[in-house]
Amino acid sequence: MTYNFDFGAVLAYWPLLLEGVWTTLRLTLFATVFGILIGAFCAITRTDGPAGARWVVSLYVEFIRNTPLLVQSYFLIFGIASMGIRLPILLGATLALTVNIGAYTTEIVRAGIESIHRGQLEAATCLGLSRTQTYLHVIIRPALERVYPALSSQYVLLMLASSIVSSVGVEELFGISNRIQSETYRNFEIFVVLGIIYLLLAVVVRAGFTLLGLAMFPRRRRLGTPL
Amino acid sequence: MRTPFRLVTSIATGAIAVCVCLAAAPSRADLFADIKARGRIPISIDPAAPPYSIVDEKGEYAGSEVEIAKKLAKDWSLQLELIPTTPANRIPHLIAGRSDVVISTLSITDERKKVIDFSKPYGAIQIVVGAPKAAPVSTLADLIGKRVAVTRGSTNDAEITKSALPGTEIVRFQDDATSITALLSGQASCYATAPALLTTVNKKNPAIALEPKIVLKTNVTGVGFKKGEGALEAKINQWIDKSLQDGSLNAIYKSYFGIELPPEVTSAK
Repeated sequence: MTYNFDFGAVLAYWPLLLEGVWTTLRLTLFATVFGILIGAFCAITRTDGPAGARWVVSLYVEFIRNTPLLVQSYFLIFGIASMGIRLPILLGATLALTVNIGAYTTEIVRAGIESIHRGQLEAATCLGLSRTQTYLHVIIRPALERVYPALSSQYVLLMLASSIVSSVGVEELFGISNRIQSETYRNFEIFVVLGIIYLLLAVVVRAGFTLLGLAMFPRRRRLGTPL
Repeated sequence: MRTPFRLVTSIATGAIAVCVCLAAAPSRADLFADIKARGRIPISIDPAAPPYSIVDEKGEYAGSEVEIAKKLAKDWSLQLELIPTTPANRIPHLIAGRSDVVISTLSITDERKKVIDFSKPYGAIQIVVGAPKAAPVSTLADLIGKRVAVTRGSTNDAEITKSALPGTEIVRFQDDATSITALLSGQASCYATAPALLTTVNKKNPAIALEPKIVLKTNVTGVGFKKGEGALEAKINQWIDKSLQDGSLNAIYKSYFGIELPPEVTSAK
């Protein structure tokens, strides 16, 4: 072992690191909220919408899920800028992440919706529930509860994948770390610190999802068993 | 059995002593006189440093420093021998005597002065903020509210981060290619980089017509040669003075980098 570790040199940059953490969290939070909304809406459309809308949603989902996130962010930041629409870089990157996660969420939620037994829907009809009531209480909530573990790990993945948008000029955690690395030449240390920070962030995101789950699904909270 | 061994060791010791003496003997030869007598001057260049020096489509050396080397050989009526080197072995080549002078983006630094001697500056490596010709940018204050692209972690990044006034939006990209993409797509309006890169971008995209607007930093480059060659140093300095006066060095610089030689070069003592 000939390498002399010097974590002090890296930790001296803590205000910058904190700024990076904040940007990463903001990106993740925004993409999470809008990603779930897009995902739920598109999943309902894809299972129960008019044929045309179903087709549009399928196109969106397949296109996004089969192209790299990096290419999508280049398109939103540089591609459409060449056509004259200049999005601020942070906004462009946030949009790219949201559109991306929206497509994955659609597929996960759709799986949940399709797992709802027909008998449940028939029961809802017998009870005289309106369409909206049926969707809210009989379809979406149990569907989300069923796919909740898959959903939460997808969003942890989103937080980790947000490092990709550093290439299009966003100063999130990874981008900032690259800057610190080129100023200190302490790349080993910075990547160790970076790994630990991402790990902690992942724990935080996961804990957030667990709490949210407890709040959203009273059945699980009371009985403690999966649906 | 011991005698031959002792004989061998004493011969070896003697040989080493002779070598050390030879190596330590001060070279009293005058390199400039040698070059003149030889009629040929080996000059080190770095053929992987466009546009300073590169190998062109025809497989020949080209670039601003190649032109300077050619001019030196021509003005001194010598045959030019270009020695391709890399940044790491420019100075070792010189010390080993495989080339007589180095003209290879060699910034004059105190560390290097300990090992070799430098002529007065003949050129410069600069960090500038470039923008399209029509953009009204001439001082750092004009950058406030503008988006300046820079390659993350480069020396250019360090310079612009240091000098930018508050309100300047610095956008850092992973590499030069992405910074250029940002510029071409209009995501950034200015670019902190070396003038050489602006020239390259212009060549590929004449429509954007970038030009250096603000000079952030200037490193002067000098002709390097072995220590203690007073005659050669005087002759090279004379030649640089003359070439600066008749504008030929400036013409070469301008044709490659789009700006005049900085005062750090033209009025250097």
